[in-house]
Amino acid sequence: MFLFQNNRIHTSKYNVLTFLPINLFEQFQRVANAYFLFLLILQLIPEISSLSWFTTIVPLVLVLTITAVKDATDDYFRHKSDNQVNNRLSEVLINGRLQSEKWMNVMAGDIIKLENNQFVAADLLLLSSSEPHGLCYIETAELDGETNLKVRHALPVTSELGTDISRLAKFDGVVACEPPNNKLDKFTGDLSWKDNKYPLNNEKIILRGCVLRNTSWCFGMVIFAGPDTKLMQNSGKTKFKRTSIDRLMNTLVLWIFGFLVCMGIILAIGNSIWEHQVGDYFRAFLFQDEVVKNSIFSGFLTFWSYIIILNTVVPISLYVSVEVIRLGHSYFINWDRKMYYSKKETLAEARTTTLNEELGQIEYVFSDKTGTLTQNIMTFNKCSINGKTYGILNQRSVILQEFSHNKKNSKFQFYDHSLVESIKLGDPKVHEFFRLLALCHTVMPEEKNEGKLIYQVQSPDEGALVTAARNFGFIFKSRTPETITVEEMGKVVTYQLLAFLDFNNIRKRMSVIGTNDTFEFGGEGLRTLAIAYRDLNEEYFKEWFKLLEEANREFDKRDECIAAAYEEIEKDMMLLGATAIEDKLQDGVIETIASLSLANIKIWVLTGDKQETAMNIGYSCNMLTDDMNEVFIISGHSAAEVWEELKKAKEILFGRSTGFTNGYAFCEKLQELKRGSTVEESVTGDYALIINGHSLGHALEANLQSEFLEIACICKTVICCRVTPLQKAQVVELVKEYRKAVTLAIGDGANDISMIKSAHIGVGISGQEGMQAVLASDYSFAQFRYLQRLLLVHGRWSYFRMCKFLCYFFYKNFAFTLVHFWFGFFCGFSAQTVYDQWFITLFNIVYTSLPILAMGIFDQDVSEQNSMDYPNLYRPGQLNLLFNKSKFFICIAHGVYTSFALFFIPYGVFYNLAGEDGKHIADYQSFAVTIATSLVIVVSVQIALDTSYWTVINHVFIWGSVATYFSILFTMHSDGIFDVFPNQFPFVGNARHSLTQKNIWLVILLTTVVSVMPVIAFRFIKVDLYPTLSDQIRQLQKVQDKARPLKSHRRQPRRTSSRRSGYAFAHQEGYGELITSGKNMRVKNLHPTSGLGKTMYNSTSWIENLCKKTTDTVNSFSLDRTVKL
Amino acid sequence: MERNSNDVPGLLSRMPDNTAFKQQRLPAWRSHLTAWAVLPGFFTTGAFFLGMGILLILSAKSVKEIEITYTSMCSNCAKLRENASNFYKECTCSVPFFIPEKMPGNVYMYYKLHNFYQNLRRYTISRNNRQLLGEDITNVENCAPFQRDSNGIPIAPCGAIANSMFNDTILLSYYPHSSTRINVPLLSSGITWWTDKHIKFQNPRSNNLPSAFTGTTKPPYWRKPVYQLDPENPENNGFLNNDFIVWMRVAALPTFKKLYRRIHRTGPFANGLPAGNYSFDIAYNFPVTVFKGEKGVVLSTVTWSGGSNLFLGIAYLTTGAVIWLAAFSMTAVHLKMKKRNIVSES
Repeated sequence: MFLFQNNRIHTSKYNVLTFLPINLFEQFQRVANAYFLFLLILQLIPEISSLSWFTTIVPLVLVLTITAVKDATDDYFRHKSDNQVNNRLSEVLINGRLQSEKWMNVMAGDIIKLENNQFVAADLLLLSSSEPHGLCYIETAELDGETNLKVRHALPVTSELGTDISRLAKFDGVVACEPPNNKLDKFTGDLSWKDNKYPLNNEKIILRGCVLRNTSWCFGMVIFAGPDTKLMQNSGKTKFKRTSIDRLMNTLVLWIFGFLVCMGIILAIGNSIWEHQVGDYFRAFLFQDEVVKNSIFSGFLTFWSYIIILNTVVPISLYVSVEVIRLGHSYFINWDRKMYYSKKETLAEARTTTLNEELGQIEYVFSDKTGTLTQNIMTFNKCSINGKTYGILNQRSVILQEFSHNKKNSKFQFYDHSLVESIKLGDPKVHEFFRLLALCHTVMPEEKNEGKLIYQVQSPDEGALVTAARNFGFIFKSRTPETITVEEMGKVVTYQLLAFLDFNNIRKRMSVIGTNDTFEFGGEGLRTLAIAYRDLNEEYFKEWFKLLEEANREFDKRDECIAAAYEEIEKDMMLLGATAIEDKLQDGVIETIASLSLANIKIWVLTGDKQETAMNIGYSCNMLTDDMNEVFIISGHSAAEVWEELKKAKEILFGRSTGFTNGYAFCEKLQELKRGSTVEESVTGDYALIINGHSLGHALEANLQSEFLEIACICKTVICCRVTPLQKAQVVELVKEYRKAVTLAIGDGANDISMIKSAHIGVGISGQEGMQAVLASDYSFAQFRYLQRLLLVHGRWSYFRMCKFLCYFFYKNFAFTLVHFWFGFFCGFSAQTVYDQWFITLFNIVYTSLPILAMGIFDQDVSEQNSMDYPNLYRPGQLNLLFNKSKFFICIAHGVYTSFALFFIPYGVFYNLAGEDGKHIADYQSFAVTIATSLVIVVSVQIALDTSYWTVINHVFIWGSVATYFSILFTMHSDGIFDVFPNQFPFVGNARHSLTQKNIWLVILLTTVVSVMPVIAFRFIKVDLYPTLSDQIRQLQKVQDKARPLKSHRRQPRRTSSRRSGYAFAHQEGYGELITSGKNMRVKNLHPTSGLGKTMYNSTSWIENLCKKTTDTVNSFSLDRTVKL
Repeated sequence: MERNSNDVPGLLSRMPDNTAFKQQRLPAWRSHLTAWAVLPGFFTTGAFFLGMGILLILSAKSVKEIEITYTSMCSNCAKLRENASNFYKECTCSVPFFIPEKMPGNVYMYYKLHNFYQNLRRYTISRNNRQLLGEDITNVENCAPFQRDSNGIPIAPCGAIANSMFNDTILLSYYPHSSTRINVPLLSSGITWWTDKHIKFQNPRSNNLPSAFTGTTKPPYWRKPVYQLDPENPENNGFLNNDFIVWMRVAALPTFKKLYRRIHRTGPFANGLPAGNYSFDIAYNFPVTVFKGEKGVVLSTVTWSGGSNLFLGIAYLTTGAVIWLAAFSMTAVHLKMKKRNIVSES
């Protein structure tokens, strides 16, 4: 028995009552929180409690609260959007009447009326619609990111119901179907109605989340509601990404735990020995009536006590601080005006706030081509008619051609006057050429008010061609299933459409056969399109048409026969000319790629496009150049061929001496790769690798992938064309796994989602192809060129800051905590703390938290301009130089050294100390205050040294922290607070007595200098002897700042000699069938206008969204620059 | 999640604010370790430390200090105290000593304990500050294991610290001649911190101290109840007894000295202690040999930096020297690098 859900959706996790228990439960599932809870429990055991419970509970509660507030806010917004969605209204057929009902009350089995541009409330079975044949159009951008319209048609039996409410109300069909699942493109089931069974498939179903377009109304029956809908079934948990710093941090935290346990064991052993040798007698003296304890048991208890005391080496605030810093960096990305695309009002957006520093470590960028490198806006750019080439030949003498005789689209630009001249002169070839362009396509025209003609296009390429024809005076006006009406130089002509040979990927061409002048149009399906025609006489056509009909009747080999028939007629054609459609590169792509290459980031282009197009783009964005030593093209169809080609490539790369390993030696090879072999360095010269989808399939097989990867990694440029979304992800995974490199995938379409999700960082371009890629991405922005800024400025800074933060944080906490360890040797290993308990509580969260956060959020080593100008500055991130295991040990050693100085200098002084007034000041409390004050000053001086960019905020935080320390110190040592809580604040009067002693200040000064001077000396020597690039640039910057205001010294990217453009054409099956079937035509427009009838009719909206897109496309021609030489 | 379909590309631009903060252009000072800052800094700091080191050593040397460990000198008393059954037996011990040089100015007398771990965690927490405030003298919380005696009567002052209070009495005698003996006048006042005496420790409010402490009992190691600590000065009794207050301020390290008495500068001692023969007359009560400890007396003058503390002076001197050494080598390296850079540039 299947329980039907109502249509209410819950994406929220909590409600008011369940928030606290569920949220706490979730939070304590995190290891860090659970660990601190465990510590808290330890502290509640009086036998081992060496610290008061509040030292742990205060930070823990703080952390839990911050997280809880964040979760609550997130959930509040989810509630809000849930409510908004749940309370949307839709018209539901209730009791034979249409009533407005909230979405959440819709149930499976209800019949809903949808209107144009409405969101679909639930998964529906389409019953009837306003369009003929029960068709309706939907946009599925919310579901799969595809913005082109899709057609759904109702069953003929149900479409007869039309808009008849009474009949609809009586509709009592029963749908039997599969259980709810998340497959968006599949549906199986059947409808039983009036003793008949009708099979149902995906074509009959409208899914929740779609938008009804171009259909004024439709009726549907709810099949799945609420959580059962495919949309909700699809909203699974997103994969949680971690940065390499995260992983390193986790390892280090584990090591620190190990270290903590070691210290605990050492001190526990020390305690056992001490108890055995001294303590037994001493304790007997001190606590005479106590049962004498076993020294080993005492050691055991001491172990736990020390675990509690020393746990601050891994402070709970680490994780919170890291999150805060990353959040800050994310906001800087969101706020960056230089990554804001004003044309579309699109901000750069850090959608994931936990990956920022990894942006500074990218080694491989996997880029989609169309829409990512290019604009995905097709422009008619060049053409060749009858052997004469028109178009941009030399851009230096650009003449902006205004088509004064046709004001239809004044923004259209074409840089060649001679073409216009030939049209005016009436060159028949030229006329024929444009006539063909205007006739042979699947575009739907739509006349808006005031005669504004808008084309609804399925592929932008077609739109570009038809628009071009229109701009040259051949205006495609309207079409019916049998005719095409074109206005030729002001004269309206209607052509009868006889046959329509739609585009497909195998033939790569499309033909339209019409009467009047019998013509044919064929094109080699490239983005460069060849246009040819053939005059057919009537007999031949009739003969051929018979052939085609026979083929259509064929049952077994229908497709082949049709193909043969098409082949038959599409031969002996007269070549008329060729068009070139350019998918223009986005602005700044060349500069960005050049700059990223200088930063040693390897860019691989993974495209679904064909090889030629991909290569053209490669050339036009300088990834491929003519002076490359070799461009390897792998296009074998079998594993053996691919193997052969890879082998050849390898021979060229390494010379013949290097043997080619076969599959058996593969394991060793991979091991070598994992170790990061240095073969790459031995190969000189620029190479490029271009590999086809089917070859890639073989190259990704287990026995070839190491070879492929090896060769690919040596090559400067790698282009994979014709790859499937899955292969994109596989390539990314391969590099991720075997190169141990940080990868970034950037793309704009639904086909890039898999690679965006599998790469360390996924970047979505909010471009032409919907939001799907953006929704799956970690970062999104509108233009590829912003990648440069994202990586070289934001990424580099984030990495730099995070590394500095971590170094300092570990240093600080070791310096802070290890003092207890040293003290253990002088207090009988009794787990006595050096500091006041309040100091321990507040040190990490109050006294030292803000300066380090300020550094972690605001620090800059070099300016953003220099970060962009010197891409080499990016190197340290890729090599992981700023924070790695050895850096960690240096930080730890620094911390240990500082703790040593912090303890032993006061120890030496306190060993025999008397105050200026002769009074005893070598007491425990003065000792604690002295060391605590020294510690705060030392770590503040250290953060001051580490801060390289002193903004007001840094000043306020650093000075403020020291001031806060002293004010809290004096407050807690004041008389008033002692009177109220004498047992909690026993340090009364301490600050005022010890901090007025010159001795104590001499100790603090000595400790500070001894702790800090070596650091300064080491850093100075290092900068002097082995300056890093960043040091040099800082120096330079300093000199420049002094000399004159900073001048930009941008490096010009290298230009290549050859210039090529990327031309594109879609590879989908066209809409030819739909057009000729007439199904998508309005019934009223189907009135016979046979023969040469010169009627024009207005077809109303077809695909509104696409239509907008087309106009956008056209409008932006003039705004966008083309790729310049 | 469904998108709100009516996102109007509004008049309000979504362009981020052009503020220095949001665009990360806050005016800032870029720190840089330049030779011009570092090298002079090192030389100056080094010079300061060297000077300070010499000054500290000189002043530490100027301090006159005499330390006499008397555990071994009073070995019979020490032995007696090892046996707890001799608790109430008196044992005195005289320790003669010679001051070769005059000790000018204020002279302070300290007792010094070796190997006494006043910093043990369980020891340091075994006290109750609320009881010591005199507000609620039966409050013996936290004082384990010395909260109550075997009859359940609360101990005042409770806790291990109070219980183990140092209870030797030390008298100082001066022998201007072998036959004459002058008792050096000692002051027990002014040996505590002001805050301890006036804020941290208070006697229970009562006209009569003994009655204020009724209902409590003395710590087991004590001979006398807390209100009879000083038979000579009735003000110096109860929780406000100076020796008690000094003891309760626990020492940081297992070897420590605590101020015991000040020399009263009257008569022959108006200018300090003259050179000559002296002796300590010690009522030996405090057992130290049971835990392998030692005890002693220290007589010391003070200077501007407190008592004799050679460590600080030496540490300053060493640090100063090391800084100078570093400064010289850094200068050498820097000059060499500069030369090399100039050569490579040309």
